Amino acid sequence: MRPSVDEQLHGTCRILEEVVAPAVADPYARTILAGLIANLRMLHQAIPAVAAFLQHDNQACAKLLAELAPALPPPLAEAIVQALAHSEPEPTDSAALEQRNQALRELLAQAVCGEALAPDLQAKIKRHMIERASRMPMRYVPTAPTTS
Amino acid sequence: MNRSVDPPSPATCAPSGSATPAEQVAADLQRLMTHEIPSARDIRLQSLVRAAGGLSRENWSLDATWTDAAGAHKHQLMLMRDASGTLLNTERGREYAVLKALEGTDVPAPRVYWMDPQGQFLGAPSVVMERVSGSCDYMVLNSSRPLDERLALARGFIELMAAIHRVDWRARGLERSLGLPQHSPARTELAHWQAEYQRVRLEPHPELDLILSWLQQQAPVTETITLVHGDFKPGNALIEGQRISAKLDWETAHLGDPLEDLGWVTNPVRKREHQIPGHWERRQIVDAYQALTGRTVSERVLSWWNVLACWKLAVIQLTAVHEFVAGRYNRVFQTPTWLYRPMFQMMEAA
Repeated sequence: MRPSVDEQLHGTCRILEEVVAPAVADPYARTILAGLIANLRMLHQAIPAVAAFLQHDNQACAKLLAELAPALPPPLAEAIVQALAHSEPEPTDSAALEQRNQALRELLAQAVCGEALAPDLQAKIKRHMIERASRMPMRYVPTAPTTS
Repeated sequence: MNRSVDPPSPATCAPSGSATPAEQVAADLQRLMTHEIPSARDIRLQSLVRAAGGLSRENWSLDATWTDAAGAHKHQLMLMRDASGTLLNTERGREYAVLKALEGTDVPAPRVYWMDPQGQFLGAPSVVMERVSGSCDYMVLNSSRPLDERLALARGFIELMAAIHRVDWRARGLERSLGLPQHSPARTELAHWQAEYQRVRLEPHPELDLILSWLQQQAPVTETITLVHGDFKPGNALIEGQRISAKLDWETAHLGDPLEDLGWVTNPVRKREHQIPGHWERRQIVDAYQALTGRTVSERVLSWWNVLACWKLAVIQLTAVHEFVAGRYNRVFQTPTWLYRPMFQMMEAA
């Protein structure tokens, strides 16, 4: 399909920068437009990586939850067992990957806030979280104004 | 090109349905002024333009002239109006009360004129204050200015913080308008931001839950209560030449632990705003603050406030995400994953 999604996003950024931005006089609108263009450029890079990120994160989160479950209160451990029994969504089903990710991370949120876990499990949790943050494909692009 | 507007006379000040935002603001402000100064006549509002800055509200710059029983007046003004979507849910009444209380102190701040607390005139809570001369530069400490100028400004900022913390809040009635922390300042502040986190989160954030749990377990006891600015940074100040002409954005001010402000400026994730590498770093900032205030700063306690500063910053960004998704905020923020590693590192070291 041409223009591809990649080509359309790239072209949209170019038009906004070269045609629209020079014609915008209002300082507030100009700042907002600069932020939107920067975010579109970030999305242009990030979109192809989102599904793979979610798939990897679901696997990593499920593995961590399985390790934590024996140390957690029985109701939460049982909820984890049930969640892990579900099969992983198809890699092409972005909505299902997102839904699965939220379900697993909700369980992780409960697990980390519960009773004190052993230091080795705490270390695993933090490693998982730092690793996840480092792989996050979408990032804020700062375009803070320098004058007001 | 700035938008400039002369509104019609009070009798016909309601703009038509095709009024620009600037014309609407001018008409609404004129009604507020007429209400506040009943004898005012010949009110003229010119050069009205919305400033590019301001992440949590609309900032409008304008020049006003009018005549009243006391004579003719000419003022350069700023109108701060709550935006429909915002990073910070703040109260204009708080800002108005603090600015009134600061009049006559050695804290440079704009003189405040009027307030529309419920948005009766301007459609959203608003305050009108003096437009102080000077410019705002978030990165002034790492700008192209010579090092000695930047160091003088850095020292000026910490002296300003100490001056804020010296304000006699009891004598100036701030206990009544701001309220004292219900619990310890650390727990009160944490509870405030926890409530905000629970209000705005759109998905699970186990990282922030884990850090919140640590903050709750390690909350320090406060030794003294002072006026706290709550968002102390170069980006909230005006600089004229080589001096700080005004500290702005008082809507987050409250009575609390002075280390909250110090924790905000020594927060490692915002080094580029607050520090000058090799010359003005955490150690120099803390030493200067201790020398200016006579307080001994506990590194452990300051680290707690550093973690809270990052956690609060994360919640502010989630607020922006929430408001953007709701269609009320015009800037795109992301989940603040970049803050997780530094917070974990500070927790390990504390």
